[in-house]
Amino acid sequence: MNDATLIRKNLFRKRLRAILLMVSILVAFLIFGVLGALQNAFTAGTGTAAQERLVTVNRINFTVALPYAYWGRIQQVEGVRNAAPASWFGGYYQEPQNFVQSFAVDPETYLEAYPNEIVLPPEERAAWLEGRTCAIVGRALATQYGWSTGDRIPLMSNIWQNTDGSQAWELDICGVFDDTEGTYPTNYLMLHYEYFNESLAFGRDSFHWITINTTDPALNDQVSQEIDALFANSSAETSTTTEAAFNEAFMEQFGNIGLILTWVIGAAFATILMIVGTTMVMAVNERTREIAVLKTLGFTAPRIFRMVLWESLLLSFLGGLIGLGLASLAAAAASGALAGFLPSFGLSLTNVVTALVLMAALGIVTGLLPAYNAMQVRISEALGKI
Amino acid sequence: MLKQTTAVTLLNLRSIPQRWGMSLATVLSIALVVGVLLGFMAMASGFRATVDGAGSDDVAIMLRGGAMAEMNSNVSRDDVRLVEIAPGIAMGDDGEPLISSELYVVADGIKRTTQTRANLALRGLGRHGPALRPQFDMLEGRMFEPGTAELVVGESVLREFDGFELGQSIRLGSNEWTVVGVFSTGGSVFDSEIWADLGVIQNLYDRGSSVQTIRARLTSPEAIEALSEYVENEPRLNLEVLSERAYFARSAGGTTNLIMFLGWPLAFAMAIGALAGAWNAMYASVDARTRELATLRAIGFGGFPAFFAAITEALVLAFAGGLVGAVATYLLFDGVSASTLGSGFTQVVFAFAVTPDAVVQGVILALIVGFLGGFIPAIRAARIPLLAVHND
Amino acid sequence: MTDASALYQLKGLSKRYTRGKETVAIFDGLDMTISQGDFIAIMGPSGSGKTTLLNLLGGIDKPSSGEVVFEGQRIDNLSQGRLAKWRAKNAGFIFQFYNLMPTLSAAQNVELPLLLTSLSGKARKERVKTALDIVGMVDRAGHRPGQLSGGQQQRVAIARAIVADPKVLLADEPTGDLDRTTADEILQTLQLLNKELGKTIIMVTHDPEAASYAARELHLNKGRFEEKGKA
Repeated sequence: MNDATLIRKNLFRKRLRAILLMVSILVAFLIFGVLGALQNAFTAGTGTAAQERLVTVNRINFTVALPYAYWGRIQQVEGVRNAAPASWFGGYYQEPQNFVQSFAVDPETYLEAYPNEIVLPPEERAAWLEGRTCAIVGRALATQYGWSTGDRIPLMSNIWQNTDGSQAWELDICGVFDDTEGTYPTNYLMLHYEYFNESLAFGRDSFHWITINTTDPALNDQVSQEIDALFANSSAETSTTTEAAFNEAFMEQFGNIGLILTWVIGAAFATILMIVGTTMVMAVNERTREIAVLKTLGFTAPRIFRMVLWESLLLSFLGGLIGLGLASLAAAAASGALAGFLPSFGLSLTNVVTALVLMAALGIVTGLLPAYNAMQVRISEALGKI
Repeated sequence: MLKQTTAVTLLNLRSIPQRWGMSLATVLSIALVVGVLLGFMAMASGFRATVDGAGSDDVAIMLRGGAMAEMNSNVSRDDVRLVEIAPGIAMGDDGEPLISSELYVVADGIKRTTQTRANLALRGLGRHGPALRPQFDMLEGRMFEPGTAELVVGESVLREFDGFELGQSIRLGSNEWTVVGVFSTGGSVFDSEIWADLGVIQNLYDRGSSVQTIRARLTSPEAIEALSEYVENEPRLNLEVLSERAYFARSAGGTTNLIMFLGWPLAFAMAIGALAGAWNAMYASVDARTRELATLRAIGFGGFPAFFAAITEALVLAFAGGLVGAVATYLLFDGVSASTLGSGFTQVVFAFAVTPDAVVQGVILALIVGFLGGFIPAIRAARIPLLAVHND
Repeated sequence: MTDASALYQLKGLSKRYTRGKETVAIFDGLDMTISQGDFIAIMGPSGSGKTTLLNLLGGIDKPSSGEVVFEGQRIDNLSQGRLAKWRAKNAGFIFQFYNLMPTLSAAQNVELPLLLTSLSGKARKERVKTALDIVGMVDRAGHRPGQLSGGQQQRVAIARAIVADPKVLLADEPTGDLDRTTADEILQTLQLLNKELGKTIIMVTHDPEAASYAARELHLNKGRFEEKGKA
């Protein structure tokens, strides 16, 4: 036996009460974990690389196209190492509900722009660069529709029309790509811009955006100003920002998701803070007499303070870790189901660290007052007579 | 029996302030649960009211087959001519069919709250356009003159975005416009739009004579059958015909479902947490009164009054929590204007709506939490042994 | 001046309480010497300050003035932390209502004071077994207090008081809650601890029969001692 035994026995003195408290803490951390995973899904793809890449879109809006000639002119701008043009394809497979995130891109420059996001075996890479009708699909998307290399699929567009009067483009799947760290979404498809463009019934020779790598991130400001100046006062003015800023601005349009999640998590934690806090005070008050006995035996006040604090920390971590564990199980289960829709649905290291900090904070905040009360117990008053 | 029960219940309720810490924690935690639920419901019903309100049964909307949303649709001038002679379409006073060919493009606005850029729908519409919106009303100013760079803006745009005051000139993309009017469509999704003359939009945005959608006033909601049949049997047309209500329901469904799929499970999970709190509070309450309850038993009171009193206490606390949550949500969120990305990558401005129906659901949830939390402690209260009289 | 054989010396001990605006003196200028190996019964009417005196001897309460000297060292001016350490090392307490931890087994209750020593787990186990053996409770080592009778609980409490081998045992009405037979058994155990193991015992009681087990009886009345000799 040691102090830990005492702490454990005290915590589970009323087993039902301890379990109820643990359940409420568990729920709060489950909510924290699942919402954190959800937020990760929404903010996926804003890594450090995205901070260094630039994106040029039409100044009116990113849904409005830019002329083909801009590609060549942007490549000439000093400091631009690589420029990768792309167009929305607006794809769906068989039924309009089966949305397929898809872009028409220039393969060589696009692969150059996204070395970590798109990882292809060398032979598949070569096949894609070679084959005009070739497309590559991300692992998550391939899994969702059961596609594999060698399949030939008709991909419909809800934006474009083919010269043959249909909205379908016949594509050969030449490769399935992964990402390096499992941190980027792989839920999209890319086809050759040239193949797409030559069979367009309308809107030929235009792009929706161009991704730019500069020779040095320090030049980014200068390069983006230069590009925008280049097309100022033309019929299609441009707006060039970092990819991270662009993504963020896009996500913000959904409303302040982060703020809503913060409110909900805040409400959940306020709830357990009150419940656990008041219960701990009550639980320690019930034990006043025992605390007095411990003090009589020679347990010092600081030692008793620590024991109560450890008790609330133990409670907080038991509930919190189980909750976080359930959250990561839930996230793992959900990420399978939502792979095509919300990729990167999972707990990040930051979430876990934050959760651990919150558990410690919850344990300390709910333990401080009862621990102080316990420390202040006066033997002669608590025992009446020794 | 009734007398006994009333007496014990009153005794019990009067003792709540003695345990104010636990009781308050219970009330507030239940209030937070109800608050979260109502917050999400207010968001969902506000959004739904805005989008549903836009759709009427007697307006048909026609898009290119497979386009799903206006944004992706493309309809030629020839298609419009073929639709003009279709059956089931109402005629205006001038003897012309009530049809509006429309084209919308995306323009940037600056949100007042965050000062960030967000997408706005800039819609070009024909002469009959406003007449196809049932509650259309010009609040200020006048309609735009066809062929000029004049705009009218929805009242939500004016409220949520900078620079659209009447008489202002504003630059959208590379063009200067003048705001000549402010309109309302009774809080529907169109209030989040900017309207201008179709020809001007086609011209400035290089769309030639093509449009995205055709809206048509039907002679009656049933006339959509005739129209659909005509379109299907006309080989030159590849159009999808929907009632406007069906169209908006389809585009709003995803967002409202997402909000509700998030809201209910969250409220439910939090309710479990609050349940644990209520349970604890009620145990504490029964524990604190063990001796009192045993004394009552000893002088001849039955077990049921003790049970009833405990469950009443739980329900009173829960009800108080539910009301606090509902009132707080109402004061904090009702009517708060928010906007999100609707179909077609443009902002839909809507107002949180805390509906009476949602409040009732919230209070019911609170009472369920109270009942479940109080039930087992109440059974315990009824079973306190007489010997507990001697407890100190 | 300190007496080498004296375990305790009380010098001019006073204890006053303020009750409302009034100041009540429990005792004023009490002097007393307790020798190593004594078994003293302190008797007196309620409110005479028996328990207060025991609290002062046990380092639980502090005098208003005067000194409590233990083995030549003043303990009345020690800090709370030092007093706690002093209690752990020197004093064993036996309470009227046993005050065992309801969540711990008998053996774990006895082991509690040893958590304040640097003994290894194995050494602690042996000490616990010896202590339980002395009070005749080895076969109940695994029982919780709730599963034991009052007399058995008090035996476990005595084992807890002696397990760390303190110099003095302080008992407050140790038989106050027990029937005559059980009380006699407990008192015999205390007597045994005094005679065989040489433990100094100071016992507060209002029961003359209990007091008769002690070697000395002191009557506390109006803050003064009256000693009654014993045969």
